[in-house]
Amino acid sequence: MSARTGEGEVLIRVEKLGKTFRKLEVLKEISTEIRKGEVLCLIGPSGSGKSTFLRCLNLLEKPDSGRILFEGVDITDPKTDIDKVRQRMGMVFQQFNLFPHMTILENLTLAPIRLLHRGKDEAEGEAMELLKRVGLSEKAKNYPLQLSGGQQQRAAIVRALAMKPDVMLFDEPTSALDPEMVGEVLQVMRDLAGEHMTMVVVTHEMGFAREVSDRVIFLEGGCFLSEGAPESFFSHPENERLRAFLSKVL
Amino acid sequence: MNFIDRFYVDFVKDQRWMDLFGGLLNTMTITVFALLIGVALGLLIAIIRTTADRTGKWRIPDFFCRIYLTVIRGTPTMIQLMIFYYCIFVGRFFSGVFVASIAFGLNSAAYVAEIIRSGILSIPAGQMEAGRSLGFNYVETMRYIIMPQAFKNVLPAIFNEFIVLIKETAVAGYVSVRDLTKGADNIRAQTYDAWLPLLAAGLIYLILTMFFTTLEKKLERRLKQGER
Repeated sequence: MSARTGEGEVLIRVEKLGKTFRKLEVLKEISTEIRKGEVLCLIGPSGSGKSTFLRCLNLLEKPDSGRILFEGVDITDPKTDIDKVRQRMGMVFQQFNLFPHMTILENLTLAPIRLLHRGKDEAEGEAMELLKRVGLSEKAKNYPLQLSGGQQQRAAIVRALAMKPDVMLFDEPTSALDPEMVGEVLQVMRDLAGEHMTMVVVTHEMGFAREVSDRVIFLEGGCFLSEGAPESFFSHPENERLRAFLSKVL
Repeated sequence: MNFIDRFYVDFVKDQRWMDLFGGLLNTMTITVFALLIGVALGLLIAIIRTTADRTGKWRIPDFFCRIYLTVIRGTPTMIQLMIFYYCIFVGRFFSGVFVASIAFGLNSAAYVAEIIRSGILSIPAGQMEAGRSLGFNYVETMRYIIMPQAFKNVLPAIFNEFIVLIKETAVAGYVSVRDLTKGADNIRAQTYDAWLPLLAAGLIYLILTMFFTTLEKKLERRLKQGER
């Protein structure tokens, strides 16, 4: 899988991205490129800036400096219609954030109907197809709080997929789950990677990062301390901090 | 006089029941219009206040909203009503019912605004983020995702405000509106019997407020779907 790295066109280009909360510098002039079809995992201790980095990619967090180019367009430019851009960037949250007042099916069809102006039948057909893929067809008419955490997160993933995004951003998608539900969510993500979806994943699941990703980045203190293909990254970590981190989590 | 005679004198003779009935119509008119004004304006104020607090935009409208809330909530309803009647809408051109509708509506808006604002604040920030991440703009996210949930959360408080409003219109008599309370008082003044007219008016208020509580129960039940 790592052979995919280096191929394909650049989908997201991050140039000297900086973010400061009050006086704390969370991201320090970070630059990288994310290519089409690539699966990039971000790991690091809490407070390292990995979630902030991810949230900057779709401007849920507003960067203080630097640029982010998505499909060649500078999305940090105030003139860019960020709502249009976000339609092509799916996001999955730690806390699922399904809409509790709507059924699962309505969760999936809301954005396609309202934003892409799909017909109700067409949107529901596509949504049912997606739910089938993640084994949730029978839950279509249920409300989110009637589902288990793992089911909710799978529904949240296909809600994002219903917009047919060009990239999927995952913000610690398994951190709020009971241990026995982690696997089912990771499997959905694994399948997605297998379909060559571009994915940026903030995770503590080292096994997933090692197995599925094309590239792993280790963040600490708002910097990319180490970066590489998962094999060498995990087997022969060169950076001392990374070694210390891995020895604690593996 | 036995009960039947008193009942006859208080309500039937000289068509005195018309005092209560006409008063009821005025009370209901004032309540309905005040409610409409209160909800519409209250919603607007709540959205301006939360948007200003969260995004830092709309600073000037927010400033006026804050003053509005402070003044309306900080002064007696009766003073506000009398200022509207004797100072602002001066002259016979404006009916008492019209002035009272405006005054109670503007008064209620302040309370409704804070109730709705508390409902909006009760929705986790992740809901807004989820909506925005799908590509909805701020207004669309408020409309489709935040407000329906906020509305459900504030239903008991909002209906409480409606009930308070109905009863508060009873002071409209101070600006010579012939409302339900005034109607009962008129009968008392003519028949020198206080018991029956006041009890009758109280009973009618009770029926009106019970109508609202029933409506609330129905709405709550319908919105309850989706809970665990």
